Amino acid sequence: MSTTSIEIGLERETPAGLETEEMTLNMGPQHPSTHGVLRFVVKADGEIMRRAIPDIGYLHRSIEKISEKVGYHGFMPYTDRVDYVSAMQCNQGWAIACESLAGIEVPRRGEYCRVIACEFGRIASHLISVGATAMDIGAFTPFTHALREREKINDILEELCGARLTFNYMRIGGCAWDIPPGFIKRATAFLDAFEPLIDEYNELISFNKIYTERMGNVAPVSAELAIAWNLVGPNLRGSGVKYDVRKDEPYSVYPEFDFDVPVGEGKMGEVGDCWDRYMVRMDEMKESCKILRQALGGLPEGPVVAKVARTFKPPVGEAYVRVEGSRGDMGWFVVSDGTAFPVRTHIRTGSYSAMAIVEVLSQGLMIADLIAVIASLDIVAPEVDR
Amino acid sequence: MRKFADSLLNGGIFDGMPIELGYVLVVAFFAFVLLNFIMLVAGVTSWLERRVWGRIQSRIGPNRVGPQGTIQWLADGLKNIMKEDIIPEEADAPLFKIAPYLAMMGFFATFAVIPFGDGLVVADLDVGLLYITAVTALVVVGVLMAGWASNNKWALLGGIRSAAQIISYEIPAGLGVITVVLFTGSLSMQSIIRAQGWEPWNWFMFDNPFLFVAFFLFFVSALAEGNRTPFDLPEAESELVAGAFTEYSGLRNLLFFLVEWGNLYVIGALCATMFLGGWQIPPVTENPFLLGLLQFITFFAKSYFIVFVAMWIRGTLPRVRVDQLMTLCWKYLTPIAFVNLLGAMIWFIVFPHGFLPMRIAMVLIGGGIFLYFLSRVMFHLRRAKPEMHLSPLA
Amino acid sequence: MGYFQNIKDTITTIFEGMAITASHFVRKPYTVQYPDRIDIRIQDTLPFRYRGLLDVDLEICTGCLACERACPIDCIVIDADKNKKTKEMVLKRFDIDLAKCMYCGLCSEPCPTGSIHHTPEFEGADYSLESLVRRYVKAPIPAYKPIKGPETDPEVAPILSRGLKYLDEFATPGDSK
Repeated sequence: MSTTSIEIGLERETPAGLETEEMTLNMGPQHPSTHGVLRFVVKADGEIMRRAIPDIGYLHRSIEKISEKVGYHGFMPYTDRVDYVSAMQCNQGWAIACESLAGIEVPRRGEYCRVIACEFGRIASHLISVGATAMDIGAFTPFTHALREREKINDILEELCGARLTFNYMRIGGCAWDIPPGFIKRATAFLDAFEPLIDEYNELISFNKIYTERMGNVAPVSAELAIAWNLVGPNLRGSGVKYDVRKDEPYSVYPEFDFDVPVGEGKMGEVGDCWDRYMVRMDEMKESCKILRQALGGLPEGPVVAKVARTFKPPVGEAYVRVEGSRGDMGWFVVSDGTAFPVRTHIRTGSYSAMAIVEVLSQGLMIADLIAVIASLDIVAPEVDR
Repeated sequence: MRKFADSLLNGGIFDGMPIELGYVLVVAFFAFVLLNFIMLVAGVTSWLERRVWGRIQSRIGPNRVGPQGTIQWLADGLKNIMKEDIIPEEADAPLFKIAPYLAMMGFFATFAVIPFGDGLVVADLDVGLLYITAVTALVVVGVLMAGWASNNKWALLGGIRSAAQIISYEIPAGLGVITVVLFTGSLSMQSIIRAQGWEPWNWFMFDNPFLFVAFFLFFVSALAEGNRTPFDLPEAESELVAGAFTEYSGLRNLLFFLVEWGNLYVIGALCATMFLGGWQIPPVTENPFLLGLLQFITFFAKSYFIVFVAMWIRGTLPRVRVDQLMTLCWKYLTPIAFVNLLGAMIWFIVFPHGFLPMRIAMVLIGGGIFLYFLSRVMFHLRRAKPEMHLSPLA
Repeated sequence: MGYFQNIKDTITTIFEGMAITASHFVRKPYTVQYPDRIDIRIQDTLPFRYRGLLDVDLEICTGCLACERACPIDCIVIDADKNKKTKEMVLKRFDIDLAKCMYCGLCSEPCPTGSIHHTPEFEGADYSLESLVRRYVKAPIPAYKPIKGPETDPEVAPILSRGLKYLDEFATPGDSK
């Protein structure tokens, strides 16, 4: 525990004579609001938590080790499983890591296809996130509305790459398939229909008084604390830090697009509270729509994939690349010894650090708030363990 | 009801047996009829809720068992009855077993005074409203007992939440009721309805602004007492797994759900009785049977409208936190209810026989709010440009 | 002032939320009543690229083993020998373990004739793991040998043209604008 945790530790004072026995609750691994299999050991005094200790490892599938056995091309479908809610960015991370190992130039059309796929993936992932947050707070309707829109995105991505969840769309050197005929028209039609629905969703739940009371002022994370605990992506931006890998360490063709990086402003309370983190995701969906419109409009001609040997043998070396996944800065580290199999792969994911900060944030909150904190941090279990 | 029992007893069916036994038999018969009736009500409510929810959520809802899924509730009930009745090893078995029946009794007993028609009431008690307030408290005992006896920490939290919530919300609900009683001078359900008329401006809801506010106060408090969203904290699925009912299975679990949906109907019936004119209908027919039927239908429609609104609210709102629940009760609803009661008293002193212009103005304001609501609905439809499907069937 | 502001906010936001949910009463449900209450089979509505259950057209399999090598989980097992006399590849075994398959599509990509390909079928439930292993070769058969020019065998030609179409579809340049 760092010093920061002590600073914000809101030890609640109990009047003398009213001390109660501390209760240990097991939240998870089977609990309706721990998406996937998370586990928190909650030390509670009635409804008020003293501390929630995260316990990880329930969804460990040794994905990093698998990469050492299946080779560079063969690992691509496994990257889908790192974060199965937004698999596209994981695909992209692995592809860019391998490309930078071997110094492969991706055709511009390939890069555009990647951006289109990734931004659709980001919208789909944020839809799950905001929907699940609303559901954890107790409103079921926004979740089904969000999933309804996600299904439409899944239809679009299914058309693009043939799968709805584990896309395996990208290849080292580009993308597996070019966009199908009529895709641009359908994708634009979706965006036209989707953008007003974001406003509708906001009016339905985001600005609902009960919702803002539940989310606002709950577990605020200051910018310093967020940086100290290594929060990334929307969680970091929710704390008011304007940091986005797409802007600050540009990769792919992102510099060519005009988009904003939404940050938390503390509209419903302190900067960095649950509502800010949630709202950053809502705003990011609008930005993704902006990027998508530009990418779909300015799609260049040419091939989508560079020529890469079937047995991909990169030169000896190592590479670390970062992509902006839906849950933030995703680091892909790969070491090559010149053979067809990587020596070591490591994936750094945003959910892991988000999981860690729960222990600090949970002190002095109510059990119902823990749900809001977990949901607003958008922790996805497979990404924590890999 | 009493007259009916007497006529039965004097009719010669029970000749040769003690009069007390005859009474017991008659009461048992009516209890049996009523029990079946509330099973039907709770079942249909559960089906309706799922359909309403489905449409709100761009889904369809159950539509396979029977025409449009209308007997889905029967299938679910049978499934639950046939399931194993698990009693956890560490649970307090006698309390665990008895808890659902207590909760069940709590809401079943309220049906005794619900006036379905002019003569269609099991017992028109003089203390009807007080009686309802009293017996619904049994539900708390059942839920709290369930939470405690399960020997499960989540269940315990749910049970405690339920007790705190229901006891707190008795106050604004009671104050809402008192506002009505102030105008009728009677606690009897039938006389409250008789004090109103069939026209909307003769309903208590539109009688004056204070009763209008009292209606909302009562409705919100009743939602909280019935553990309905946004106050469904005792079972708060995403927080407490299933709250007080976590360890229950089979028939006992079913009984708790029966209580939830049955209570929903009781809320609707109470609102209809106190604020929406109950079974009052225009005098269209002289036939007592037909009249009774029409009154029954009117009452049912009014109470189901309230039930529908409660379902709709459940499909819209998130859940409040436990401290916000208390804040809402003690800092908002209770003071407002007191001020409102005071205002109602003054109104009653100034206009002891009502004030017709105000009633008409209230109805017009109500209509205006409704029209504005429709315009917002149209606005959302125009903005989202969805595919339309006007039929409730699917 | 915050007190009355709270009351006002609560009422207005709930009013707005109720209006939105009310507007959903007349919107079309998004449910697809799979499998029985639909107009056309779901399989026919799926896009061409849909990666369903794998299928193999043995008539045009060249026995090149490219799919076996590409598969990251080794769910494809092929035994192919070269006949010493005729210099032909003979397929002795071509098994796909659908229980293992993760539908990644890496095998259908390198296939030179489009023999192994994904179908839009996805209803693969079965009662045992054993029955999920599809054994395509019953008795050893010679592998397909591509010939220069158009295919002449009337039995193979339509299958090959379908396989090549499958390959072509994946290489569509797409629409530029």
